[in-house]
Amino acid sequence: MFTTIVSAILAIAIAIFGGAASVWYALDVEHGFGSQTVGVWTSYPDLGSAESDPYSKARVAREGILVLGRAEGLTFTASTDSSGEGLRRECTYVIEGTIPQARFWTLFAADAALAPITNPFVRPAAVQSQAVLRLPGNGVSITVSPHASPGNWLETSGKGEAVIVLTLYDTSLTGGKNFSDIELPQVLRKDCDA
Amino acid sequence: MHKLLYALALGVVGAGIVHIAILLLLPDFSERDAWSRLEGSVDMFNMTRIDNTRVANVLHRSADPFFQVAACRFNLEDGYAHITAKGDVPFWSVSVYDRSGQNIYSFNDRISTQRALDFVVVTPEQMIDVRKELPETLTSSVFVEADMDEGIALVRAFVPESSWEPAITSYIGSLNCRQE
Repeated sequence: MFTTIVSAILAIAIAIFGGAASVWYALDVEHGFGSQTVGVWTSYPDLGSAESDPYSKARVAREGILVLGRAEGLTFTASTDSSGEGLRRECTYVIEGTIPQARFWTLFAADAALAPITNPFVRPAAVQSQAVLRLPGNGVSITVSPHASPGNWLETSGKGEAVIVLTLYDTSLTGGKNFSDIELPQVLRKDCDA
Repeated sequence: MHKLLYALALGVVGAGIVHIAILLLLPDFSERDAWSRLEGSVDMFNMTRIDNTRVANVLHRSADPFFQVAACRFNLEDGYAHITAKGDVPFWSVSVYDRSGQNIYSFNDRISTQRALDFVVVTPEQMIDVRKELPETLTSSVFVEADMDEGIALVRAFVPESSWEPAITSYIGSLNCRQE
């Protein structure tokens, strides 16, 4: 009798906590359902659209977000550099490579919660394609650093984890159908403040 | 021992069922979804700038600092929603979301000839009525047909650099969201 009750309680406890915890895990993990990765960059091309999977739908509802529509743009985030190490606000990185076809794009640094980093002075921690210097061959090289640097400088400040967000506006890439053959820039770590 | 193993197996199967149940019910029962968050700061049929408010980053995760964003909640039960703006900006885009925050339809300034922002959200039934006799005010509007009662219209405008700020602010301020 006693073992029956214990077993029943155990089964119910595993069901409830296991079920709830696994949903939470599935919704929180960075490379979750519906994500596509290109190098260090992750995107959720179907997030928030009517055709998205139940995980994406639950994610949108739980986080209360209003994601960019397909005709608007596509967002990529990078939280590690090309060697796989996590991005830090106190470090200097060079983002180098070509960026896929779009009407324009923006690139900004954010904290771990994806809120844009604000600097003590007027400059936002952001650059956009209409105001960057380009390399021969239409590539770009952007220095992400707390210290002033020549060329394209994305000024960061503070300490802690960082995420770099690249958004392509009015691009034909939306829908994620041709992700396999696109190229996104590398994120190379230079040095860090002690 | 046998019973314990049986209970473990039952628990794992139960966890699977609970997992699926939570997943599918979450969109309907979430109290943290975009609509609920907007209710406090954005009135029904009132276009309100949201990129500078506390809810901004939560709402459009990774809020782009180059954009100004305004939202308006609408209800289609007593008429369609008509959204217009005055002026010209380098880039604007619009998304229409349903009550649960799913993106129903989106478009950008290439949709209209004069790059003018003028669109209506109608239900399929209202569309039939509007088609019969197109109101004078809607001759140049973009129609977004959506089978829903409530929704959110979001307008994003690009601010290429800070000198554009006043122009974009007045553009966002000129946005008008009304029931007709």
